[in-house]
Amino acid sequence: MPGVYFTTTEFLDDAKSAARDRGMPGIRTLALPADKYYVARGSKEVLQPIADQFFDKMLGDLTRPLAPEEAKPSQAQQQHENANIKVTGKDFVDTSQKVNELFLDNRWADGLPIVPPTPELVKEMEAGTTLSPQKVIGQVPPKNGTATVEKIAINAVMAGAKPEYFPVILAAMEGFTNKHYDLTHVVASTGSFTPVVIVDGPIAKELNFNSGIGMLGIGWRSNSTVGRALQLSLLNLGQTWPQVNFMGLTGRLEAYTFYTFSEDTAKSPWEPYNVSQGFQAGESTVTVSSAGNPAVFGGGAVAPWTAQGVIDQMVAQIRNRGVAWPHAQKHIIVLHPDCAVELANKGYTRKSLQEYLYEQTRVPYEKLAKGVSFGEGSEEEFIRVSIADGRIRPDRAQIFLDNLKPGGRVPVVQSPDDFHIVVAGGSPGYDLLFTYPGTNWAHQTVKITGAALTKAGQ
Amino acid sequence: MAAALLTGGLCLAGTSSAQVTLEVMNPRGEIAPPKTLGISPRGESLAGKKIVLIDNGKYGASNFLDVLADMIKQKYPTATVVMYPKPAAQTITDLPKWYPTVKQQGDLFVFGVGD
Repeated sequence: MPGVYFTTTEFLDDAKSAARDRGMPGIRTLALPADKYYVARGSKEVLQPIADQFFDKMLGDLTRPLAPEEAKPSQAQQQHENANIKVTGKDFVDTSQKVNELFLDNRWADGLPIVPPTPELVKEMEAGTTLSPQKVIGQVPPKNGTATVEKIAINAVMAGAKPEYFPVILAAMEGFTNKHYDLTHVVASTGSFTPVVIVDGPIAKELNFNSGIGMLGIGWRSNSTVGRALQLSLLNLGQTWPQVNFMGLTGRLEAYTFYTFSEDTAKSPWEPYNVSQGFQAGESTVTVSSAGNPAVFGGGAVAPWTAQGVIDQMVAQIRNRGVAWPHAQKHIIVLHPDCAVELANKGYTRKSLQEYLYEQTRVPYEKLAKGVSFGEGSEEEFIRVSIADGRIRPDRAQIFLDNLKPGGRVPVVQSPDDFHIVVAGGSPGYDLLFTYPGTNWAHQTVKITGAALTKAGQ
Repeated sequence: MAAALLTGGLCLAGTSSAQVTLEVMNPRGEIAPPKTLGISPRGESLAGKKIVLIDNGKYGASNFLDVLADMIKQKYPTATVVMYPKPAAQTITDLPKWYPTVKQQGDLFVFGVGD
């Protein structure tokens, strides 16, 4: 079917990259001037001069006979990424700097210094797992690079990770590349979404993950380098780059290490988070989940707060953003231990708190938006379509249908399980709400196995 | 530095008395290239054709396509313009199932405005 694809000048490289990834590099693409289009797009009148400028070009692209390369393009060649590279400098420091320059020039690094991934260091990293270096963990979008144990090890070395951490990194990559995880969105979206990485179980303590004051900050090698190893693995195996095919408009606020921390199971009044996900107590897991940037609640060290007040504020915030996409919306709630204990003392279990959140965040039918932010139609229409095409699970569909009428209260998520409650932070502390509008499922908890250098995770 | 050095776990092979060479591994994964396809042949004119304008749902795209629709109708009175918005929240993973439905809507398409 002949066609023309309109984009803007800021997204032209992204469009070309996506066209190549999908095997149609010749698709005719017109780039509207970004500096004019985005400010004009709210008004047809203001858009008219831009349309005038591009109309004849569009007609030309729809009618101009094909050039031979457009009709029968040459086939893309296999990229080989296995040859080692030798870098020579006048001394060790000079060589190390040249390696860093080479990696950044090739878009293989993130702008911070990397540890040069020598074969010896990569072999040491691989010794952290019993898995074969050639084992394929998965494919990483958007370009679907193959994530082998060896390739992930190279990125883990670059990040400065210890071999003991490697099984955690591998399990997280298994989660990211699970077929049910929509990884494309988080690695490419304009929304600058960021993975949350939560380590649970005995391996967290054995590897000295920080779950207390400063858990998202610097100073803990495990938190920092596990997150950075994942960030570099996604960058290099999916081959993304800012302004080319990672179009996060602000960039991620935790760009280098993601939101990586462990649960404080010792101070939590409830069972470990991974047990709530069906794992056995004492098993070590890592959870990976796409998220927006967190909203912060509570008084910390400077202001009064109550646990019920924190929860009610979270409810108000969630309800205020509306139903949006209930088929995919999810929330990660990180309660600092004092808040969790106070809630437990009031009688809340994790499950009853999830149910409370589910009930309290429901939106009155009369307040459903008449137009959703993507596509045509109202929120009600969108929910009905989501039920019809199976995005809303059949076992939850009736709840939505029963409430799509005057007086109904429509859930913002599919089930109470879409509120993921984790305990971590200082005492005093703050409480975090990570909300993900979702485009599909992007949350996986994976058991850590194959550890060769730790007692846990074997 | 003629002999190999072991510094902080890095094995450095000396190439001359002053130089240091470091062998490093490529962090990128192998990518199987997709089969490359050509684009569809064009007709000579839009006259008498059915043109499908696909709104990708991003704010302002429908305004831009509405303007184009009016211009097409004015220039080609015999052409038919069909607005066919991408379904709300259509996910990337669902798109392969959706593309064939576009083909059923007309003869030519204009998609916008991509980001």
